[in-house]
Order: sequence, then C-alpha cells, then structure tokens
Amino acid sequence: MKKLIAIIATVVLLPAAAIAETFDEAFEMNRAMYGKGYTFTWSGQQYSTDHQEEVEARVDATKANAESLIAKAKAHNAEVAKVGFEWKLTKGLLKDAEAAIESGDYRKALNLAAQAKYHARIGLQQHAYAEKNWHLSVPQ
Amino acid sequence: MRKLSTSMCAASLLALIATTPAIAITAEETVAEGKAVYMGKSRGNCISCHQINDPDANLAGNQGPPMVAMTQRFPDKRMLRAQVWDASKNNPITIMPPLGKHWILSEEEIDAVVEYIYQF
Amino acid sequence: MKIIKNITIGLSLLLSSQLVFSAQPGTTLASVNPEADRMALQNYFKKRFPDAELADYVNGIYAVDADSREQWEELESFPPYEFDVEEGERLFKTAFANGKGYADCFENGGVGIRQNFPYWDKEASTVKTLEQEINECRESNGEKPLKWGKGAIAQISAYMAWTSRDNVFDIKIPEGDEGALAAYLEGKKFFYTKRGQLNLSCANCHLQGSNVRIRADLAGPALGHPSHFPVFRSKWGSLGTLHRRYKGCHKDSRSKPLDMQHETFRNLEYFQTYMSNGLVVNGPGSRK
Repeated sequence: MKKLIAIIATVVLLPAAAIAETFDEAFEMNRAMYGKGYTFTWSGQQYSTDHQEEVEARVDATKANAESLIAKAKAHNAEVAKVGFEWKLTKGLLKDAEAAIESGDYRKALNLAAQAKYHARIGLQQHAYAEKNWHLSVPQ
Repeated sequence: MRKLSTSMCAASLLALIATTPAIAITAEETVAEGKAVYMGKSRGNCISCHQINDPDANLAGNQGPPMVAMTQRFPDKRMLRAQVWDASKNNPITIMPPLGKHWILSEEEIDAVVEYIYQF
Repeated sequence: MKIIKNITIGLSLLLSSQLVFSAQPGTTLASVNPEADRMALQNYFKKRFPDAELADYVNGIYAVDADSREQWEELESFPPYEFDVEEGERLFKTAFANGKGYADCFENGGVGIRQNFPYWDKEASTVKTLEQEINECRESNGEKPLKWGKGAIAQISAYMAWTSRDNVFDIKIPEGDEGALAAYLEGKKFFYTKRGQLNLSCANCHLQGSNVRIRADLAGPALGHPSHFPVFRSKWGSLGTLHRRYKGCHKDSRSKPLDMQHETFRNLEYFQTYMSNGLVVNGPGSRK
C-alpha cells in the first residue's frame, strides 16, 4: 500500500513540477488572455502584461527618445537578419517611424519603433525555437 | 524589466491617457469591427481558413475548424482569446499564425474578433 | 478530481515524450538519411490520399482533387506555355556573339537532361541549378546574364524541360560527400522550419495543409513539386521559374524574402527534387 501511494505520488508530483510556469510562460498566458495593461501575480510579485517595447515607448515624446528607440530597433533587426529570420514588415515600420520624426510626430515614431523592435525580438525567439523544434512536422 | 514600476512619471501617464480613445465603443461597434478583422485580407483574414455562418462569408477555407458552438467549445472566453493570440501554444506545428504574439493584429483587434466569433 | 487531471496530464506528457524520443527525424549530419526521408514522404501521402497514384504527383494538386483536375485538363488542351516553349527553343538555338551556343555548355547538347538538376558541384562545393548553368553558359561566352524569375530564362528552362519530358528524376547525393549531405539537410530544414510573422513553414501548406482550402485555393502536395517547373501560373499571367515561386512563398510567410538562386533556395531545391526522385519530368506545367 505504501508502495502504491509512493507510485501515485511520483506520478502526481512529477507532472506538477513539469508544468510549473516560468515567468515567460506566465507572462504570455496572461497577455494572451487579457491583452495589455493587465496586472498578474507570479511568484508572489505583481507584473504588467505590457511588452518591454510598450514600456520603452512610454517615455517623453521627444526627437531624441524616438531616435534612440529606432536605433535600438534597427540593431535588433540587424541581428535577426543575420540568422535569416527578418520579418517582412519591420523595415517598413522603421521607415514610417523615421517619417514620423520628420513630421514632428514623436509619439507615433516611438510606437512604430516599439513595434519594429518587438518584431525583431520575437523573430529571434522564433529562430531559437526553430533550431530545436523544426523536426516536429517531419513525417516518420 | 516588465516589473511594474511605481515611479511611473506624470508624462507617461498623460501619454497613456492621450492614446486611450475618449469615447467608449459600443458592443455593436466592437462586433462590427471584429467582423471586419475576420474578413479583411490584410487584417485577420480568418475567413481564409475558418467557415462561419455569416451570410457575408463567401468561399471560406477549411484549414481550421469552423466557427460553431463557440460558447460550448470555449466556456471561458479568455481561453478563446488565448487561442487566437497564439494557437501554436497548444499545437506547435499548427498552420494558424500567432495573431497576438506576433503582433499581426493589435490587442484591440483581437478583443473585437473574439466578440464577433463568440456569437457563433 | 485534481488527482485524476494530474494523472492524465502526467500520462499524456509521458506518452508525448516517448513519441519524441522514438522518432528519428534525421536532423543531424550523422542521422539524416535521404532515402528514408523520401520513403517517409511517399508513405505520408499514400496514407493521406490512398486513391492517388504515386506517379500522378507530378500533376500537383490535380493528382488529388478531381474537380480542379477537370478544369486543368481543359486548360492543358491548349497549353498556355506553348508559345514559351517555342520561344525557348528559338533562344536556345540562337548563337551567342562568339558563335557558340547553349548546346556547347551542356551534356548531350542540353537535350533531355532536366532530370539531373539540381546537382552537387563538388569543385564549387555548392548546389547548381539549371537556371544557374544557363546564365553561367552565357557569361562564359561573353553574354550578359538573364534575370532569374521570368522571361527568357524561364523560356529556355521550359524548352530544356520539354526535351526531357518523361525522363525520371535522378538527383544524387554523392556517398561520403559531407558537403552534399549538409546541403540536402539545410534544404530539408528550411522546408520544415516555421518562419516569418505568419509563422509558416513550407510543410504547413504543402504537407499538412495540402488539398485543404485556403479561401478558394487548394495547396498542392510537396511530393512532385519541382517536376513541372517552370510553370505558367494563371495568377502571374506568365511563365516563371521555381525560384520565382520560392521567393513568393517565402514572402507570403511575411518574411523578408531571399533572392532567387540564393544558396538556401538552391539547397531547398536540392532537397525537394531529391524527394521527387523516381517521378518523371513533365515541365513546363500550367497552374492556377
């Protein structure tokens, strides 16, 4: 009987440990369910579902701030291009962001640069995931 | 990085307010917007793969399941939202693009399309 | 109740992890086995479409969908690529300024050789495609290279395919040549990798999604894909090369697309054509 309980315990406890959420999983699940601007609790602390880029865009709408975020987005995009995973719309977003600076709409420039940087960052994640998982749809 | 900052400055608060629509959108408007997202080729283009019992849905594809019995299939509307946001979480090789995770649609567009399909 | 749920999750985790471990997807140079891949792909489609004849896969979607086959057969009774084949023959037989011609650059005077392309060029340590050699032939005879996607290069390629109809694809991966195997593996990896903002792999549409509707379109099966290129595509309203299609597909995943004849695309062609070994050349073709 003790043995049986032990077996059940392993079966029950192992998967429980396996499905413990990492921060990234918790963040994604909450963002997926509630969108942005939602507060969730992970490991006893409160966090927002905003992307780091959305936080970065929430600075003063100045030319310098917009230019700085565009530069960051470009650097990320160069990195993702190097591994062959650049997305189609990113360069266009950056161009539009630069045009927004020209016309003095720094808020718009910040938001577009944030989206471009997000695209590049997730493209890099996509590449890292693919390196490990591309075989999943290979027929056996 | 994403930890809530308590020292959020006044300027950013103002910015937040400025980007929030001043007039609340009605439920009907949300559903209409969701339908536009569902049908729009350069928006959600959901119709390319999912049949839906809407007279305006012509030549829907069938790569994915039809939009039927949504309330039974997703008693929790939030789980439906999560599925639209990133279907690859439940099925890593799915053909369905991660509409939210890859910022293909805005979060507002996702809210709207969920409201639209949840009627079926 | 929670215990039952946990046990179920535990069991499914165990089961799925076992599946992953017992599988041999051939993702490394040490484990990749092109012949096993080819058989696995054939078996996949045999199971998927039990009524389709293997040899018929050179006809793409028309091998598996009766309705679109009927329309296509009507189209083929007056083939839209006929003019292109004639023009291709004229171009092929027109001498360069130095008096030489395409026939001087290829084995057997360039006739009936489509089934051997692409091939692994050991000296250059790269995959060579037919279109690439057409341009190399021009350049080595002092002519300007042609543009890769459509026009003259597609017409010449179409004529060369035409003279090779019914020849059996015989793509070789030279034994013990690690470079060739690596190129094949890179092509295979590209085919199965999800990419772009839409997170799509070639396999998403042309394996899992083949003969399933995307709006009113049916994606064709991957098996036999390269056999009928270059293709007169109604959507293009003209003849185009395989790499024109690759670039379009790549872009459709919302990736910044690679250039035609990029090494990665040539490796993809190497993999895809190897998968079609045993099937016949039936290019040029016509598609919706």
